[in-house]
Amino acid sequence: MQIVVILGRVLDPSGIVVKGKAGRIFVNREEYMLQPADRCALEAALRIKDGTGAGVVALPRSPLPDDDVLRQALATGADRAVYLTGDGFKGADAAVMARVLAATVERLGGTDLVLVGATTMDTGQSQLGSRLAEALGWPQVIGAWQVEAVDGKVRVVRQEGSNYVTAEADLPAVVTMLSGALKPRYPNGVRLINIYKDVGEIAEALERWDVADLVSVDTLKPLLERRGRDFPPERERGVRVNGTLEEMAQAATDALQQRIGG
Amino acid sequence: MDFTFSPEHIALRRMIREFAETEIAPIAAELDREHRVPFEVLRKLGEIGLLGVCFPQEYGGMGAGEMGYCILMEELGRVCTSTGTNVGAHIGIGAMAIHLDGTPEQKEKYLTPLARGEKIAAFGLTESGAGSDAASVRTRAVREGDSWILDGSKVFITNGGYADIVTVMAVTDPTLGARGGITAFIVETDWEGFSVAREEDKMGIRGTSTAELVFEELRVPHENVLGKVGEGFIPFMKSLDMGRLTLGAACVGGAQMALETAVRWAKTRKQFGVELAHKQSVQWKIANMATELEALRSLVYRVAWLVDTGQPFSQLAAMCKLYGSEVASRAIDTALQIHGGLGFSRDFPLERGFRDARIGEIYEGTSEIQRIVIASNIFREHGVRIRP
Repeated sequence: MQIVVILGRVLDPSGIVVKGKAGRIFVNREEYMLQPADRCALEAALRIKDGTGAGVVALPRSPLPDDDVLRQALATGADRAVYLTGDGFKGADAAVMARVLAATVERLGGTDLVLVGATTMDTGQSQLGSRLAEALGWPQVIGAWQVEAVDGKVRVVRQEGSNYVTAEADLPAVVTMLSGALKPRYPNGVRLINIYKDVGEIAEALERWDVADLVSVDTLKPLLERRGRDFPPERERGVRVNGTLEEMAQAATDALQQRIGG
Repeated sequence: MDFTFSPEHIALRRMIREFAETEIAPIAAELDREHRVPFEVLRKLGEIGLLGVCFPQEYGGMGAGEMGYCILMEELGRVCTSTGTNVGAHIGIGAMAIHLDGTPEQKEKYLTPLARGEKIAAFGLTESGAGSDAASVRTRAVREGDSWILDGSKVFITNGGYADIVTVMAVTDPTLGARGGITAFIVETDWEGFSVAREEDKMGIRGTSTAELVFEELRVPHENVLGKVGEGFIPFMKSLDMGRLTLGAACVGGAQMALETAVRWAKTRKQFGVELAHKQSVQWKIANMATELEALRSLVYRVAWLVDTGQPFSQLAAMCKLYGSEVASRAIDTALQIHGGLGFSRDFPLERGFRDARIGEIYEGTSEIQRIVIASNIFREHGVRIRP
């Protein structure tokens, strides 16, 4: 069995300050971490690997200036990683990435399951898994809390409203994992040192593929156009209500009615 | 001159910081309150390879060098001095002596399980009559065929209450004294004749075991002599040099924690209508703390680089320990002062930090001993041999 995990990075929020009034994000420390939902996808893949001996291949969720997320995946237990690079690829959006990743998965061959985070932490983007499933022509299950692969099927626990339901899909399939679904494991120390020093067997596990070898360059034009950045308006101050319980309830109801124009 | 951390060390710090904040920080206060050694944390540290951070991969280590070890100690020192002390006694002095002076057979047998965290080490030097004056050791070892028979006791041994392997310094020839008369041994604590007499009840680092060890006709095979017979002082002094450096690294973490805590408080606490951050008296304290911290950090990582590049570092290691412990104590004292009455309360972590920091100026060579070492080295360069 082979599992593909798709991983992205996000600025470590402890190193940034968002100032809505100034309309700016101040970066004090430019440090990146794995997208939390993608990290859960990696953990889900590694748990299936623990149980079945499946091979795990890590791919990037977007064009990246370096291969750090893939090295993290290898240090944590992935068997192989492919860094995607190439001209005209930098601005790729989810639509382009889905095409590129579908071509990559096809080139890899033998993949039974693709796992990816359901939503990115910074931009709230949640299209990638669905677009990729569409591009591959595979079934998809989105928003998983738990994943297991049994008898040619993937069985997923996901939330629908206030209920948890079990969903099944035939393999091969695409599953998107929710952030916080699983407690991710730590990297292994020896693997970490070796992959970052580029020594030992693990160094061979990181490959670089040129996107131009996977898709024709004219398909790399993004659908998305970025025209600017805006901050949401500051929230209005609330109303403090005092008095007895009845008075406070009445005042709160009045305030709400006024707010909605009742 | 390049002051940037390498990619593997950046990745290592990210991993250790996450581990420290997730697994250790939430229980640090409880360890102190309940006087409990965090065995579950030590087990997890071992599983991901951190208890062998600086040892070679061929002996079960991670191969991250002294730089990696200093990063580990800084990040542990930042969240819990007790855990830092347990790990430091295990890696930095207990197992380090075997790493530096063990034979390939001794490393295979002892260093490998220690580096993997399957066994825990301690360092048996101090005795009731031999603390700073390490050469006055009284524990006796007498040769008997292929073995040595150990008799005596050691006090204030960190990890002593539960260690599986202890490196012990004993007198093998009382006529020769420190130079030629003292030998180091690797002792397994489940051997007959080994016992733990008592645990210290301490002011700080209460999440550690500090024990008195007793040896009664303890038979040690000759193959467990560490280094050469009569030259036991050498592996012990070399281990202590390493220990001093990494203790300095733990102090970087302690001072960093104090600074972060003080800044967070000064940002939110209002007096006379403004946050403390706007008070010059607080600003100066913060500026001094940050400056001393950065000076210490530069010293510590420069010395780690000297070790990893095989250059002499003994003198600077003593400075790391001396300056580090005093900077950390000052930083925590200042942070506590900025917190006022709340800093004095057990509900805030600075009270624990204050008690924990105090040991830094005492263990692994008091500040006074470090000053003697530093001054002796300086005078020796000028042809003067300082008498103890």
